[in-house]
Amino acid sequence: MISRRFVTLGAPLTLCSAWLLLSVESALGQWSIPGELQAQASVLTREQLEFITSGAILEFIPERQLEHELATRDADSLRSFMNDLMSLADRIRYDPEQDLGAAPLNLTSKSFNTGMPTPAPLRDFEREPGPFSVHRYLFPKSGVPTFGGAPVAIWPEDLVAGNVDVAIVGVPSNMSSGRRDAVNGPDEMRGLNTIAVPDVQTLVKPFETLSVVDYGDFAVDRMSTERTVSHVTAMVAETAGTGAIPMLVGGDTSMLYPAVSGVARVHGKGSFGLLHFSAHPDAERHGDHTVSDRQALFLLLDEGIVEGSETVQVGLRGPAVDADTLQWLRDKNVRYHTMAEFRERGSESVMDRVRQEVESGPGAYFVSIDVSVVKPAEMVAAGRATYDGLRLEEVTQAIRHVCAAKEIVGFEITDVAPMLDYSRLSVMHANALLNACLVGIAVRNEGLDPDYVHPLALDHGQR
Amino acid sequence: MAFVSIEARAALLLLATAVAPTALAQDERPATPEHVVGQEKYPFDTVDPREEEEPIELPDSVAPKLALLTREQIEFLKSGDARAFTGPAEKAVEALEKRTPEEVKAWVEAMQQVVTERRYAEGRDLPNIPFNTESPYFNRWRLQRPRSMDPKREPGPFALGRYDGRGGPPTFGGFPLALTKEDLVAGKVDVAILGAPLNMGSGWRDSGERATVELRKRSVSWAMGAHNQYVQIDASKVLNVVDYGDVAVDNASTERSMRHVRDIVREIAETGAVPMILGGDHSLEYPNVAALADVYGKEKVSVIHFDSHYDAWWGGSHLISHGYPVYRLINEGHVRAADYIQVGLRSAGPDKSGFNWMREKGMRYHTMAEIERRGWDAVLDRVVAEASEEGRKLHISFDIDVIDPAFTVATGTPVPGGLSMREAITIVRRLCAESNVVGFDLVEFHPALDPTYTTSLNCAHIVNACLTGLAMDKEGLTEKHYLSPLSSEHALDDYYRDRQHYLDATKAEEEKKKEKKKK
Repeated sequence: MISRRFVTLGAPLTLCSAWLLLSVESALGQWSIPGELQAQASVLTREQLEFITSGAILEFIPERQLEHELATRDADSLRSFMNDLMSLADRIRYDPEQDLGAAPLNLTSKSFNTGMPTPAPLRDFEREPGPFSVHRYLFPKSGVPTFGGAPVAIWPEDLVAGNVDVAIVGVPSNMSSGRRDAVNGPDEMRGLNTIAVPDVQTLVKPFETLSVVDYGDFAVDRMSTERTVSHVTAMVAETAGTGAIPMLVGGDTSMLYPAVSGVARVHGKGSFGLLHFSAHPDAERHGDHTVSDRQALFLLLDEGIVEGSETVQVGLRGPAVDADTLQWLRDKNVRYHTMAEFRERGSESVMDRVRQEVESGPGAYFVSIDVSVVKPAEMVAAGRATYDGLRLEEVTQAIRHVCAAKEIVGFEITDVAPMLDYSRLSVMHANALLNACLVGIAVRNEGLDPDYVHPLALDHGQR
Repeated sequence: MAFVSIEARAALLLLATAVAPTALAQDERPATPEHVVGQEKYPFDTVDPREEEEPIELPDSVAPKLALLTREQIEFLKSGDARAFTGPAEKAVEALEKRTPEEVKAWVEAMQQVVTERRYAEGRDLPNIPFNTESPYFNRWRLQRPRSMDPKREPGPFALGRYDGRGGPPTFGGFPLALTKEDLVAGKVDVAILGAPLNMGSGWRDSGERATVELRKRSVSWAMGAHNQYVQIDASKVLNVVDYGDVAVDNASTERSMRHVRDIVREIAETGAVPMILGGDHSLEYPNVAALADVYGKEKVSVIHFDSHYDAWWGGSHLISHGYPVYRLINEGHVRAADYIQVGLRSAGPDKSGFNWMREKGMRYHTMAEIERRGWDAVLDRVVAEASEEGRKLHISFDIDVIDPAFTVATGTPVPGGLSMREAITIVRRLCAESNVVGFDLVEFHPALDPTYTTSLNCAHIVNACLTGLAMDKEGLTEKHYLSPLSSEHALDDYYRDRQHYLDATKAEEEKKKEKKKK
C-alpha cells in the first residue's frame, strides 16, 4: 500500500509532444514589408528577408521598431542587425549539446524520496482510528492551532472511521512565480482561528452540520515543484477515495494541477467542472518548465483532466492576460470572465452569468481560488497580487452559492503569502473564502436553498 | 499524446533514458558539472562519508526476539541505517524486549521498506528533473540583448542621469552602469557589482527581483559609495566601480541558474575586476567561487564564509541548495577544504560529525562559541591573519545572517546571537584591505521582512566596508588594522600615552603652515 502512495516523483513532467505542434511562428503569422520600405529591405539576404516576412522576427522586436530600423539603418548596419536577431532565434531554443535538459539529482542520497508516510509498524503509538482532539478542554480558546479548531486526522483510516465530510489539508509549496511565502499559508490560516464561524446570512454553523478535520500537511519538495506533484496527486486521490472532500490550503498555485488531477483519479477525468477564481489564467503553453503556477490550468486542459467547456475562470487581469491567451482559452471553450467584463457589465450581472454557467454545467465541481482574484486592498498578501480585482464579498457570495448548489469534489485556496501583510488581514480574508465553501456545503447538507437567508438575519421583524 | 497519462509519460521517459547513451566514462569527465548537458548525470561522487553510522552489537539476551529474522535482517538491525528508527543501542534493546518475535519481524521489515523506498530506484524514480526541452522559449530567460538593438555608444561605463550622472534610475551606490565585458575593460573597472536575484532559499523566500531592486534604492544604496570616516577614504574616488546589472536566474531551478551565473561572474573576473555579487540566496556561493577558480585556477582561491550556518550539508536528493555550496565546491575540486575559513557559525547544526569532518579536512572554523570564549578582538585578529596568509587569493562570501537579527532581521534563516554591525563592518573592511580579495558576495537579503529599510541599509554598509578596504589596498594602507589617525582620535593631548609621535608630527606641520603664511 505504501508503494502505491509513494509514487514516482516528477512523473507528470515529461513533456507532451503536443506542445511541439503549437509552433510559435505559425502563431505569430506573416509580416509583409510595407511598400515604402521595400527598397531598404532589398539589401538583405534571402534568409534575412525570410526571417522578417515569416514574422519570426516579431518575437524579438515589435512591428513599430522593425519599421523604424528598416527606415533608418544603412545597408551594412541593417544586415548585421538582422544577423544578430537571427542568432537570437537560434539560441532561444534548446540545444542538447549546450543546454542542461534536466537537472541532475543525487542518486546516492539516502533520502532521495521524501514525504513517505510512516508504515504502521513504525508509528509510535497505537490508537483506534478516527479524528481526535488536540485539546485538553472541551471548549478551548487556544492551544495547538488547527484549521477552524477542527480535530486532527492523520491516516485515511481516520477519515473513514470518522465518516469525515471535509478534510482540510495544507500543501506548503513555495514556488510562486510572484512573491514567495505561500509556505506559511497553511500555518497562518490555522493560527488565525476564523474558520467555522457561523455565517451571518444563513446562520449555519458549518462544524455542527459537517464532520471536518485538519488532515495535516502533504509533503513537498521545497526545491522542485516537479518532484512535489506526484506525491500530492497521490495523497489527494487517497483522501478523496475515502469519500471526504479534500479542501487544500496552498501553497502556490502550481498545486492546482496535482489537486485537480488527484480528484480526477477518483471521480474520473472530465466528470466534474472547474470553477477557478484568479487574476491569472495560468494557461502558459510553451513554458520551459514542465509544471508551474503559470502552467497549471494549461496542463489540466491539455491532459483532458477537466474539459474547457466545463471550466469557468473569474477575475482575469494582469500580466498574463493577452489576446493570444484569451483566444486560446476561447478556442478551448473556457468560460472566462475578465475584469473588463465586470467593469462593462456590472458585477452582479457577471456573477449571475457565472452562476448560470455553473448551473448548466456538470453536477459536480472543483472550486479553486487563487487569492489574487481579490483586490489587493483586501488581499495584499497575494503572491501574485494585481491591481483591480473583485471585492471579497463578491467572491465569498459566489463561492457559498456554488458550494451549496453543486456537489463539491474538491476545493483549494492558493498563494497566500502572509509575510506581505503584517496585519494578517489577508489571512483573515483567506479563511473567509474557505469558510464560504464550508458554509455552502453545510447549507446543501441541510437541504436549504443555495441562496437561503435566515429570516432572523434578514429582518428584526419589529413593528 | 496530449491525453496520455502522467504515468505513461514517465514510463516513456524512463525508457528513453534507458536506451540513451549513459554517463561519460570516468576519464572523460568534464572539468565541471556545468558542462553537463542534455540529460547527463552529475559526473562527481555524491556519497557523503559523514552519513555512515557505526553498527551496534546486540546482547544475547534479545536473541529469542530475533528468531524470525533472516541473517540479513539481523545485520540490517545492527547497521547504522536502523538507528534512525530504533535510536541508540540501549533504546533498540528496550524496543526489542517489549515486542514479540512476530512484531519484531514486522517492525524490521517496515524499516527496511522505508530505507529502500527512500532511496533512488532505477526504473521507478526519475533520475533528474526534466525541463520542457520542446519549449520554443527554452533559453528566453537568459537570452542577452544584442547591443545592435540600441543606439551605438562607446564601450565603457555610463551614467544614467542628467545631473553630473545622477538623477536617473537607481544603480548600486549610484555607480555608473556597465553591461558588457568591453565596458569593463574600456572603463578599467576595479569592482563590478552584480545583482543576482535567486529566490530558492529554504527559509522565508524574498530574495528575488525585489532584493536587488531594494539594494539599489537610493535611500540606502548611497551608503555603498560613501566616504568612509574611519579611514578617511572615499572608495568611489579611488576605484572604478560599476553596477553590472542583474544576472538572469531561473527561479524555478537553482541548478539551471548556476551555469549562467558562473558565466557572468567569470566574465567579470577575466577582466581583472573584483566581482561583487549581491543576492540572492546562498546557493550563489557555488557559481561565484567556481567562476573564480575558472579564472585563477583550481584550488588557487581561498574562501572566507561568513554565516551562522556552515553550508556544507549534503546528501539530500538535490545537488545544490543554499545549504550545499561549500560541500559542492570542495567535492568538485574548485577549492581545497583547507582553504576554507568559516566565521560566525552558531545554527543548530552541524553536529560532531560535521565538525570532525571540517577538522579532518583542515577547514578553519570560527564559531560564535570561540568568540564567546576568546573575545571578539582576539578572533578578529586570528581570522584576518589566516585570511591574509602569503599567496592567498580570497573570496568573501557574506551571508547577512552572520549578523545578529537585531540588525539584519530581513533574511531567510536568521539565527540570534550573531555579530554586531560594528564587528561586521570592521572585519569586512580589514579583510578587503589586508588580504588579497578577488571576489565578494553578500547574500540572503529578503526585503519583504524589512519595512524599516534597516537591513537594506546595513547591507549597503557592508558593501561600503569592502569597497573602502579595496580602496585602502589600492592606496597602500594595508598595515594591520589601519584607522585614520585624524578621525580615530582628536589627539590634542596624549591621553592614551601612545600618540606622542603623531602629536609631534602634527605640531610640526602646523608650524610649517604658519611660517608659510607669514612669508
